[in-house]
Amino acid sequence: MAEFEYLRPDDVSGAVATVTADPDAAFLAGGTTQLDLMLKDRIIAPTTLVDITRLPLHGITGGSDRIRVGALTTMEELAADERVVLHAPFIREALLLGASTQLRNMATIGGNILQRTRCRYFRDPMVAACNKREPGSGCAAVTGAARMHAILGAGPNCIALHASDVCVPLMALDTVVQIQGADGERSVPLAEFYTLPGDRPDIENVLRHGEIVTAIDIPLLPAGMNSGYLKVRDRVSYEFALTSAAAAVWVVDGRIADVRIALGGVGTIPWRAPEAEQSLRGQRAGTRAFRAAAEAAIHDTFTVPGTQFKVELVKRTLVRILQTVSGVTS
Amino acid sequence: MTATINDRLLGQPFDRLDGVLKATGAAPYPSDVSIPGQAHAVLLQSPIGAGRIRAIDSTAAEAAPGVVAVITHLNSPALGEAPMTGLGGPPRNPFTDDRVLHYGQNVAVVVAERREQAMAAALLVDVDYEVSAPILDMDDPRAAVENNAWGLETHDGDVEAALAGAQVTYDGTFRIAPETNNPIGLFTTVAEWDGDRLTIHDSTQWPMMVRASLAAVFGVPEAGVRVLVPYLGGGFGNGLRTWPHTILTALAARMLGRPVKLTLTRPQMFTSLGHRAQSRQRLRLGVGGDGRMLAMDHDATASLAAEETNFSAIVIGSPEAYATPNVATHDRQVRLNIPNPSFMRAPGHAEANFAIESALDELSYQLGIDPVELRLINHADVHPRSGLPWSSNALRECLTVGAEQFGWNDRNPEPQSMRDGNKLIGYGMAGVTFGWYAAPCTATITMDSAGSVIVRAAATDIGTGTYTVAAQLTADLLGLSMDDVTVKIGDSDLPPAPQSGGSGLAVALAAAVQSGAAKLIEALIDAVGDSSPLRGKTVDEVVAENGGLRLRDDADAGETFREILGRHGLDHLTAEGTSDLAAAAKNAKMATAPAFAARFVEITIDEDLGLLRVKRLLSVVDGGRLLNAKTARSQIIGGAVMGIGMAMFEDTIYDQDTGRIANATFGDYLVPVNADVPDLDVVFVGEPDRFSPTGVKGLGEVGVVGVAAAIANAVYHATGRRMRSLPITIDQLM
Repeated sequence: MAEFEYLRPDDVSGAVATVTADPDAAFLAGGTTQLDLMLKDRIIAPTTLVDITRLPLHGITGGSDRIRVGALTTMEELAADERVVLHAPFIREALLLGASTQLRNMATIGGNILQRTRCRYFRDPMVAACNKREPGSGCAAVTGAARMHAILGAGPNCIALHASDVCVPLMALDTVVQIQGADGERSVPLAEFYTLPGDRPDIENVLRHGEIVTAIDIPLLPAGMNSGYLKVRDRVSYEFALTSAAAAVWVVDGRIADVRIALGGVGTIPWRAPEAEQSLRGQRAGTRAFRAAAEAAIHDTFTVPGTQFKVELVKRTLVRILQTVSGVTS
Repeated sequence: MTATINDRLLGQPFDRLDGVLKATGAAPYPSDVSIPGQAHAVLLQSPIGAGRIRAIDSTAAEAAPGVVAVITHLNSPALGEAPMTGLGGPPRNPFTDDRVLHYGQNVAVVVAERREQAMAAALLVDVDYEVSAPILDMDDPRAAVENNAWGLETHDGDVEAALAGAQVTYDGTFRIAPETNNPIGLFTTVAEWDGDRLTIHDSTQWPMMVRASLAAVFGVPEAGVRVLVPYLGGGFGNGLRTWPHTILTALAARMLGRPVKLTLTRPQMFTSLGHRAQSRQRLRLGVGGDGRMLAMDHDATASLAAEETNFSAIVIGSPEAYATPNVATHDRQVRLNIPNPSFMRAPGHAEANFAIESALDELSYQLGIDPVELRLINHADVHPRSGLPWSSNALRECLTVGAEQFGWNDRNPEPQSMRDGNKLIGYGMAGVTFGWYAAPCTATITMDSAGSVIVRAAATDIGTGTYTVAAQLTADLLGLSMDDVTVKIGDSDLPPAPQSGGSGLAVALAAAVQSGAAKLIEALIDAVGDSSPLRGKTVDEVVAENGGLRLRDDADAGETFREILGRHGLDHLTAEGTSDLAAAAKNAKMATAPAFAARFVEITIDEDLGLLRVKRLLSVVDGGRLLNAKTARSQIIGGAVMGIGMAMFEDTIYDQDTGRIANATFGDYLVPVNADVPDLDVVFVGEPDRFSPTGVKGLGEVGVVGVAAAIANAVYHATGRRMRSLPITIDQLM
């Protein structure tokens, strides 16, 4: 570990100004990603670390239709929030399946959204070819041991997965990200917050250096809309998703009046599935419609031998969660 | 003449004596050791799989803050060769020359005042490599092949003729991924020299071996090398060799003239220590219509490092698994550019059992014979090769008790016949035979004038309960309470003892303690006065109880230890016990019995999602006499958890271009977590073994054997699909 300067400002604008002015400075919140990258993986070496945990960005406000979650709110606090439990329980499910209690007590929501990929080729300085670390150096994962990797939004330049669980239901809910930078504040829908790797896998979102996520706004589900999150993985716990699906469904008289779907474990970014939603609206709830929606959701995949199985697995994952949430298994 | 086991304390489920120390963080593992003035060493390992080092520029690293030295093959002295041991040859010495034989080979040791400084500086060492294409595939025609390297093959009878004449034949090929031991304790070495004397704290299961290795490597007297490991954070066979990082730490300390500490990182645990070799087995069986096995041809190929040896043969236990008149085994090792495969819990046996017990399961369906019955039909009532009676054998009981307790006969034996909603249900079982090997052992018992004793041996407790069972046995034999006994182990200056490995330490140490207890009682009888009722008696004529000795046939005729020692003004009295069971086995006129077991498992598989989950797992085990019912059970359930890992998760993946281990972290290399482990039931059956002096058989490894086959067989029962490749994963099952 290289030496670095540690600062702990107590106002947002000061923190933003410090990092904006120094290209080698970085923010530190819960530390569950940043310290891994610095201390264990040794792939980043900021010369200044700005600890933002004392900034006033903590807590949840709002009502039963919409909440604002401060960026420093922990995963555990969001999972325990009564409005989430009542009006968007799939957020809670994804949080509980996403990390152990110890991690949920440390990790922040802002940090979760901004977590870096778990790709072992990205996180190993012994690997030379990583376009995300060194633009233009190539991608070792494409020819490597890819299993925990993306098939959607991926390409020969990068197949790194966005491994967040909670971002999957957040994507389905049209969450909005609140950002503060040296030039002021702005709002960006989560769906527009992330950028696909394309030929610049090192750029992962629209944040500019020094900008900080201050909060996220989550529209909650209307009464009558059931939601659920299904995570498929090799072992029962302590593993990122091979595939996952978040779904919210409103069934009226056997027909799907409204539906929200997003997928995890498969995308270079948390993956909203608008085609699946479109194909289901107005349809009779049932396995045939669910399977058709799954087929509609998965297109333009980029697979390597290790990830080929995910194309079918994610469809089955989506069918299963739609069955569970709608209560229709036939 | 032996000291009598009273079963007063022996076998009782005492909590581990080291339990509270470990739970509170008070037990000093090697990584907890710090010596004043120590420097910290970090390994720089090769990022290529094969090639040469053209040049090393360490200028920038040497100039980095806190750096003391950068040591490489270019600036370090030649090292001596460590001797062969009972477990084969030593690993190739570090820094031998400029050649790189595998990814993660040690290239430099960076030493700094602080560990963080050494880690930062290691990234600044500039190594210029000439890169070659590594050999990583067992089928690569360039790979060198060692046939029957250790002379461990068997050729009994005429296998081909018997196969040709068999009514039913079987021919199957099995593959098992390389598995990495991954003890939770990161292996650590702390070395300090005083002239030619070396004190070294090292993560090892075998202090005497490390002592001998380091003395030879550095050309110093063995008596001056002291190896300390009072506690070890697990080993599973990784601590049975003197690994290059241990030598490099001692080398750095010698070159720098100050203590040096080195702790491997988790990724380095995959490249610096051993692992279970990747393997491929072809098994052919010939069976009569009655289910009797007539012939077995077991052909196994395992991976081996480029210039290493691995004294291991997958097929070594195959001939004694069942009563088979015609047996041929073939042992092959293929050299690859990979880190050194070595011993991992039940090496060879765990792999062979997967093939044999899977094949028997397949045959049971072909023959229409229940899998349990098929194993009973083929039970070896005497040792299949020598024809000698077993010193103990409760395998039949393991199978029948297991079937009864598990409700084996309640299942519908038809494949794909049982389900619960969208989950398929499967039952599977496997038989297990697993030998133990006890090397010569010494232990001293010293009694003080208050009647308390200290047991000493250069043995180790690798988390298995050595401290506890040694205390229990000693107290039991000498009529003391547990509080009267102190156990000192984990120090090579203590009386010579063998490795914690081969499931043999508990057997060997127990026999040595029993021998020592007899000699101590003898010495105590010699020390009594003329008027004592004990005068002139033999060990067999007395009983040790309540802190003294009395006549076996007269409960009131005796003396306390305190009285006996006090009369002579003796501060203490020491007796030395020894055991050499491997030598004794040669004249035993019976077949030294392995541990036997049967495993029964119920699994579910989500039909659509391919999710395999173990619902319950029963192990019925014949381990002879148990030293401690709790630690014995813990050994079996720990092994069973590892077996679940072998069946469903463990897979060390090599990048095909560099040989880099692609999943060398605990996030990526999967082992079972609590949620993957169901209710594990353990039942012990059998009698004290007739050959082992204490009746004890080794239990350290048998727990892992048979789990993978039982799970794979259950997958077949659930799905009708035969899994001959481990691990069994979602993509195979969905």
